[in-house]
Amino acid sequence: MRALIAAATGLAVAFALVLTITAIGAPSGETSPKPLLTTVPKHP
Amino acid sequence: MRRKASLVLLAVAVFCAAMSPLLRWYAFPRLVKIPPNQYQDAVLEAKNPTLIDYGTMKAKKVPKVTIVQTLKGNVEASERIEKNDGDSSRDVVVWDALSYVQDAEGKMVSKIPERYIFDAHSQEPVHATGEMVDGDPVKREGIEFKWPFLTEKRDYEYFDAQARITRPIHYKGTQDFRGVRVYYFEQTIPWTKVPFPKTMPVKGITPESLAKTGTTRWYTTVRKFWVDPTTGAPVYGEEIQRNELRGGTLLGGRDKVTVFAGHVKMREDYIKSTVDLVKSQRVLVLLMTSYLPWGLLGLGVLLLALALWLEARSRRPGDPAPTAAAEPEPQPANA
Repeated sequence: MRALIAAATGLAVAFALVLTITAIGAPSGETSPKPLLTTVPKHP
Repeated sequence: MRRKASLVLLAVAVFCAAMSPLLRWYAFPRLVKIPPNQYQDAVLEAKNPTLIDYGTMKAKKVPKVTIVQTLKGNVEASERIEKNDGDSSRDVVVWDALSYVQDAEGKMVSKIPERYIFDAHSQEPVHATGEMVDGDPVKREGIEFKWPFLTEKRDYEYFDAQARITRPIHYKGTQDFRGVRVYYFEQTIPWTKVPFPKTMPVKGITPESLAKTGTTRWYTTVRKFWVDPTTGAPVYGEEIQRNELRGGTLLGGRDKVTVFAGHVKMREDYIKSTVDLVKSQRVLVLLMTSYLPWGLLGLGVLLLALALWLEARSRRPGDPAPTAAAEPEPQPANA
């Protein structure tokens, strides 16, 4: 019974962690202020 | 004590084993995606191409033509589309792109703006207001600029912005490109009638004035891409392109005049920077698809074995029971 509880705990923590991380996601950030180029850049 | 340790190990083992598929099949499609604020530029050059002189309407050899391609993620537009999208879980990326072409003297040859809207993870096109090529509304099918993450060894549908058509781009094999294992793709667009660019290099010449002469523009290209299959990002690209004006009164009795004919290749410094960028990004993707899932699975199996071993040792006959010392057997009262 205790082994079953231990396994269920591990499983629950894994689901909670992955669901939390994916729910938070990555921030969108802001549109770059740099323009669409009409001159040839010297370097990347 | 051993029993407690084995139970903790069992919990951690199950945690690791569960994390492995969760990361690969649940977290990966949701977390690994093109950021909506991406900004990227690339410079491509055609050495000794043929280019039309609109003053004389004759084609001539020029030393060089340069194409500056910029991709800029429009965060506000992507958020607006996501809000109006029926599928609320979908992350959308809006790329405002510009292909600016100039000759060796720095004079503008053409500039074609585009708006490309796509799913941030799958690269599937998303159709929304504003999707366009050179101001013309389009409904893209297939991919453009980039392949999906975990690119497969198969043909893809690729959108050609000049012709506004989608045609297959064929997988032609796996190669080593500057230390990166890449998939080589090739697409041929046969001679196709295409619209004139909205912005022409000579004042007074407009697409409308050209159309009135009955002259039409035709285009063919062989497009080559070397794609990193992990990120789906092209590390190098080439194009063998030909543009012609055909028929009408503009050509003074000639059947056709070459507008542009050349072999366009990415500039060397941009190849290096693209390869470096892709090499760094592919590690992040591999972390989610390979390193962490396999590592966690291995660790889970190892910890499970350790937990079982500890459990077995704690139950081995002959070993003093862990609780024996703490709780002595009750003695008969008359002993």
